[in-house]
Amino acid sequence: MAASPPPDPPLVVARDLTKTYGSGHAAVQALRGVDLDLPAGELVVLLGASGSGKSTLLNLIGGLDQPTHGELLYRGWDVAQADEAGLTAYRRDVVGFVFQFYNLIASLTARENIALITEVSRRPMSPDEALDLVGLTNRADHFPAQLSGGEQQRVAIARAIAKRPELLLCDEPTGALDVKTGMLVLEAIQRINRDIGTLTLVITHNAVLAEMADRVFTMSDGRLELARVNSHPRPVQELSW
Amino acid sequence: MLNLLDLKLGRDLRALKSQALAVALVMACGLAMMIMTRSLIQSLDDARANYYEKHRFAEVFAELKRAPESLRQQIAVLPGVAAVETGIEVSVTLDLPNLAVPASGLINAVPERRPVVLNQLYLRRGRLLEGAGTGEVLVSEAFAEANALGPGDEIAAILNGRRQELRVVGIVLAPQYVFEARPGSALPDNQTFGIFWMREQELAEAFNLQGAFNEVAVSLAPGASEPEVIAALDRLLKPYGGLGAYGRSEHPSDIRVDDEIRVLEGLSFGFPLVFLSVAAFMTHSVMSRQIALQREQIAILKAFGFANRTIAWHFIKFALVIVVVGTALGTAGGFALGRQLVDMYHLFFRFPVLAFEPATGAIVGSLVASSAAALLGVASAVRKVVRLSPAQAMRPEPPASFRPALAERLGLARYLAVSVRMALRNIERKPWQAGFTCVALAMATGILIIPNAFRDGVRHILDFQWDTVQRQTATVSLVEPGPLRAAHDFAQLPGVIHTEPFRTVLVEMAAGHRSRRLAMHGLVNQGDLNRVIGLDGRPLTVRGRGLIISEALGETLGIQPGDTVTIRVLQGKRREVTLPVGGFSQDFAGIASFMELGALNRLLGEGDQISGAFMSVAGGQWEAFLRALKETPQAAGVVIKDAMRQSFRQTTAESIGLIQVIYSTFATVVAFGIVYNSARIALSERSRELATLRVLGFSRSDVGRVLVGELVLLAAVALPLGLWLGSGMAGLLIASINTETVRLPLVLSSSNYAYATLVIVLATTLSAWVACRKLHQLDLVGALKAAE
Ligand SMILES: Nc1ncnc2c1ncn2[C@@H]1O[C@H](COP(=O)(O)OP(=O)(O)O)[C@@H](O)[C@H]1O
Ligand SMILES: [Mg+2]
Repeated sequence: MAASPPPDPPLVVARDLTKTYGSGHAAVQALRGVDLDLPAGELVVLLGASGSGKSTLLNLIGGLDQPTHGELLYRGWDVAQADEAGLTAYRRDVVGFVFQFYNLIASLTARENIALITEVSRRPMSPDEALDLVGLTNRADHFPAQLSGGEQQRVAIARAIAKRPELLLCDEPTGALDVKTGMLVLEAIQRINRDIGTLTLVITHNAVLAEMADRVFTMSDGRLELARVNSHPRPVQELSW
Repeated sequence: MLNLLDLKLGRDLRALKSQALAVALVMACGLAMMIMTRSLIQSLDDARANYYEKHRFAEVFAELKRAPESLRQQIAVLPGVAAVETGIEVSVTLDLPNLAVPASGLINAVPERRPVVLNQLYLRRGRLLEGAGTGEVLVSEAFAEANALGPGDEIAAILNGRRQELRVVGIVLAPQYVFEARPGSALPDNQTFGIFWMREQELAEAFNLQGAFNEVAVSLAPGASEPEVIAALDRLLKPYGGLGAYGRSEHPSDIRVDDEIRVLEGLSFGFPLVFLSVAAFMTHSVMSRQIALQREQIAILKAFGFANRTIAWHFIKFALVIVVVGTALGTAGGFALGRQLVDMYHLFFRFPVLAFEPATGAIVGSLVASSAAALLGVASAVRKVVRLSPAQAMRPEPPASFRPALAERLGLARYLAVSVRMALRNIERKPWQAGFTCVALAMATGILIIPNAFRDGVRHILDFQWDTVQRQTATVSLVEPGPLRAAHDFAQLPGVIHTEPFRTVLVEMAAGHRSRRLAMHGLVNQGDLNRVIGLDGRPLTVRGRGLIISEALGETLGIQPGDTVTIRVLQGKRREVTLPVGGFSQDFAGIASFMELGALNRLLGEGDQISGAFMSVAGGQWEAFLRALKETPQAAGVVIKDAMRQSFRQTTAESIGLIQVIYSTFATVVAFGIVYNSARIALSERSRELATLRVLGFSRSDVGRVLVGELVLLAAVALPLGLWLGSGMAGLLIASINTETVRLPLVLSSSNYAYATLVIVLATTLSAWVACRKLHQLDLVGALKAAE
């Protein structure tokens, strides 16, 4: 159940993390006491059936929601106890999000979507640099409506990493994409994890992706289990679907 | 299955209750106004028609110097005449024990030996003048109320110079005095001017009018031509000093009721139209949004085999619920306000009964109008539902297409903050929606201007008319025209600082085929008391044979300064001249004409005569002045400026004030409704985007700025547009309700603009605040799930 003790102090630590939606008869236990240690710089994949609680965990780690019970520490700072302003700052400075449906601002161009974030972060890269990392320099002035799904998702990744977050959270980033496009997106994620050493957590249904991770967890019915640790994660290109 | 849809309808309504209520309220305001005004029109119309019919109000009227009773027969056989009533009407001065001011009035004769066939009295209290008797008098209700007179009270009257004690036996109304004011005055002054009735015999003796009459009223046979009867009557009465016959359209009492109805008609249309258009727009935006949100649900319903018709009807029902609520509120509001206004009409109009009558037609009309507005609003939204193919709707909507805003294309991009760019691009992407919101906001601003323009017009009259124009303290009129010397006598009264004589004579003024009977005032050249003020606000001088007429008269006769008019004097030598109009004056009380006193006297050819004098009186000696005036037999009546101002305050100003308050409230409701609705729509449309921004680490206030930015931008454009629009609408409305008898000037004050701006800014701020509070409830996690 517990992760093997990492050499460095883990970046994110969860203890007995519990999340219950609703109350009484209608109560749904989405997380039933999750313990978790995530070392800096790793690429972590989280597998599990639909409804098993993956998104709930990711959202708690990202500071979008608060646990019902338990401890959630980022560098020793208790995310679970943080107030509104603290969470806003945490999301702005520490976390990068990539969502299944991209969630780009439709009225802003690719570059502006990224600039929106870099303008308020402490040590960002330039929007063009971020676009370069996802291979979309030539699409900088396009609006989301003018981009394909994969391109939109890569812009979303560029937006998430442009502020050099310590934590990149991706919830089914390829869920709405076809296989080929999904590969491009995953490549970008893996490259960024290697190049800038961001701790990256990717939720997916696709067990094949476990190969690309340093560490793989599986989730079922609100409980988390460490499935394996790859000493040699494989590049996305080599995976067979 | 339909029940399920109705269940959904209930839920949708509950979810959108504040927005639906905002639309219903805007609708209700428009309908309340329509129902109120239409009901008032009906109430007045019916009360008048009933009264006129039951009490046989005549159709053509004429005053004359004196004619023998035998002439009545000749009048009766004129072609087109159905019935004739002749009578005596004389001026009288009164001495009421508890009134410091001399009061005056008109006494009418009640025939003793024949029944009254036209203009019959209505007895409110006491009894009529039945049987034989002397020293008995009937008093009009307005005067009796103002002076607390009742049957049994005694009043002293100066009848043809002789003082006589009279006993009040009855309080009455008469159809020719629905509106009761001193002849030529637009304002009632019920405390110092009244109408009385005495037995014919007694009155004729006092005024040496035995066997004679000095006024005629006739009713017309079916199909008779009024102008022909008037002409025939004029011919017949000319030798007897006829002052010109006239129809109901020039009858001083009837014309006031007509004017009031005309004002109500003006109000019953424009305002409701604006409000209902706004409601249509609001319905449209709420429904479009609702349908956009329910894309998937609609697709599922369609996939399950619901017919387009069923689904379209479901959304139309949504709009109809709003219509029903709006109409119910509007009807209730219209009735409540209408009742209040009817009570107030008692100040102006005396009917046996003036009951509030709900205009059922107007309610049906409202229902139709508001349904039309709602359906118009919902039509294009429903068309979208019908066109939506299930398969297409099940897929998430692709991101909306945007492009750089105009300002950016012009190279201003780097000066614009990202949130401003987002707002500009949003506006450009949906120019119609932005345009409508802008126009609706401008209308909200505009309709705020109108009621306060009324208020400012009234204030202007209160200050301007009675301080700038009429600088006299009192106007004293003589029993009959007298020598210039009389003015000098008045000057000797205690406290009198300055007097200026005037002459008033009844004339008929004609231009082309239009003509009007009215008083011509002869004033001293460069007078300092009662001045004539031009349209530019500067005093005009009367000199030479120059003629000045009020703008209202110019409109009535269809002439401009420089045109000529024919003036027929209806008294004395009955001379006729043609004179050019030297200029227009402004006069809140409608039609008026002025000449230099000497010139008028030369025209009359009766020597230097005056009808009275304007005087300014020292405040400290006011009581003494009035006491002395009461003892002066030549003084027939006195008009005290402050009393007129007070009368204006209590009547015209009060009714306009009430309307102003109602309209101002409604306009404020509409302003809030529009802004609130726009804010809620913006919030709903952008909630996903805003939630995303929150997830990305923007604070609530950052996100609030993005949300509010667009609204502020639109409000900033709408505000000046609205002020401009409102000024135009105020001008139009005031012009449409300005009548011959009451003229409201268009005054657009900076405080009016400031108020409208303040309300809109407040509405915007408050709505923005409500919307921003809703940001607390923004579902961050939900925004990351499937596209809306
Ligand atoms: N906002 C919510 N309210 C109630 N129940 C929820 C909510 N979000 C998630 N759940 C429930 O919690 C459980 C876990 O959901 P989620 O974390 O989204 O699963 P996954 O991402 O693994 O598919 C599910 O049973 C889901 O129905
Ligand atoms: Mg999930």
